[in-house]
Amino acid sequence: MKAMLRGVCVTAVLFGGILQAHAADLVVAMPNWPSGQASANIIKVALEKSLKIDVEVEEMGTLIAFTGLDSGKVDVHPEVWRPNLDSVVQKYVTERGTVHLSPRSVSATQGLCVTQKTYDDYGIHDVADLKDPAKTKAFDTDGDGKGEIWIGAQGWSSTDIERIRAKSYGYAATMTLLEMPEEVGMSAVDAAVATDKPIVFYCYSPHHVFELHRIKQLSEPAFDGAKWNVVLPADDPMWLSKSDAPVAWKPSSFSVAYATSLSKRLPQVAKFLDNIDFSADEVTAMSYALEVERQDPATFAEQWVASHEDRVKAWMK
Amino acid sequence: MAGTARPRRRLGWVAFLFMAAGLGAALAQTGSTTQIFDPKTHKWINYDRKKARQYYAAHGQVPDAFRRQIVTFRTAEKPGTIIIDGNQHFLYLVLPGLKAVRYGIGVGRDGFGWAGIVRVGRMAEWPTWTPPAEMVARDPNAAKFAGGMPGGPDNPLGARALYLYQGDQDTIYRIHGTPEPWTIGLDVSSGCIRMNNDDIVDLHSQVQVGAKVVVLMQGAALYKGV
Repeated sequence: MKAMLRGVCVTAVLFGGILQAHAADLVVAMPNWPSGQASANIIKVALEKSLKIDVEVEEMGTLIAFTGLDSGKVDVHPEVWRPNLDSVVQKYVTERGTVHLSPRSVSATQGLCVTQKTYDDYGIHDVADLKDPAKTKAFDTDGDGKGEIWIGAQGWSSTDIERIRAKSYGYAATMTLLEMPEEVGMSAVDAAVATDKPIVFYCYSPHHVFELHRIKQLSEPAFDGAKWNVVLPADDPMWLSKSDAPVAWKPSSFSVAYATSLSKRLPQVAKFLDNIDFSADEVTAMSYALEVERQDPATFAEQWVASHEDRVKAWMK
Repeated sequence: MAGTARPRRRLGWVAFLFMAAGLGAALAQTGSTTQIFDPKTHKWINYDRKKARQYYAAHGQVPDAFRRQIVTFRTAEKPGTIIIDGNQHFLYLVLPGLKAVRYGIGVGRDGFGWAGIVRVGRMAEWPTWTPPAEMVARDPNAAKFAGGMPGGPDNPLGARALYLYQGDQDTIYRIHGTPEPWTIGLDVSSGCIRMNNDDIVDLHSQVQVGAKVVVLMQGAALYKGV
């Protein structure tokens, strides 16, 4: 699309500005994760079909999308995660008022997970079990007597927080904390399931791993703001020693965001976006369809809208 | 990936194999050595280099678990991707329909040495083997081939080699064949992944240059990302 637009621009210059680049009625930012790609395309297909407007889906990072929402170059972001983006929401939604968040949201979770086999056969049910060397020995794959646990990819803020939680709960002393790209972490789960081996790993949902395998999230003490003292590496080199968080993650969620100006420019679209009410199961299914079944996001969206006519109609009301 | 150098540790696992002719095989891991369950004596015996040779001499092939087979493998990785589990000595080639070909492999004495995502940068049939300089210095047999040992049945790289790249850089690691098929399932090589020649030929015939290779974290001194 970018190449095509560049071509159009060159043509416009050659003809003395007589021609203009085509501008869509609505620009939807598309994140690089599967459920975000699916929902961005569902929004496009549903709106083009129902309101006969021209919608463009453009892949971009979340911070660039928010800048675009603020300046008017972008109209919609399909999945704004919180509390991860609380500071951005504070800036653009609360302070500047240029971005609107849908009142509806999808509940999300973060924590530690095991396979059903690990849960049933190895007695790993609660985060506290990871402090028991007799139990965590089952996760030892390198012969040093300590089990291993994947805590996320390098560069994720959640990975730093998982390191803090491991220290705070005490299992940093009984287990080796591994950082690897998500594909390595997830392939390790695939291999463990294929051979009935125990495994414990950082997990978040909605995510296709819950559809691919039978997964159990470990129980742990509920989130308590008074006990969640997290300092991130960007803010302090002594972040780990200064942090303490022996509790579960704060309940997470994500929702649709759109430019506040849309309420006046295209009020029907704004109403539609406010009414979108995907369930967590639907989002997991989207993730599975794109990531595991390798369905094309645009084709998946066409089929989803065709098979959910009543839902789409309800969102229009 | 954590950004700190950590000591290499010995691969830790136990394999137990019910291997009376045709009885099938199973694997598990709890310790630091490979073991076979002997159905005659009902005792566990170490599956070391000597036992592996004896087994191969008696059966003409490696234990059942390490033979090429189609298995159920539920993954989000696309068909054509290779996933290496050095801990259990398996290499998976992902197939459509949530299946995979599972091959037995031999890995490094100290494990594979790293984990991460690479790709098949190039492939070769009956590749030339050039011993590293330190091996030439200490081993007169290797010194004979300081300029490169031509491909052939005695070449340590076996019938085929898949050269693993990160971006456009050769990682120096390979997936290759071996003239010592009894070593499959053991920790014996000097860091590469070895497969018996039939298996590497089979893998080579199914893999494209550019294929994604995921080396898992489990075991195998895995803490340094490439």
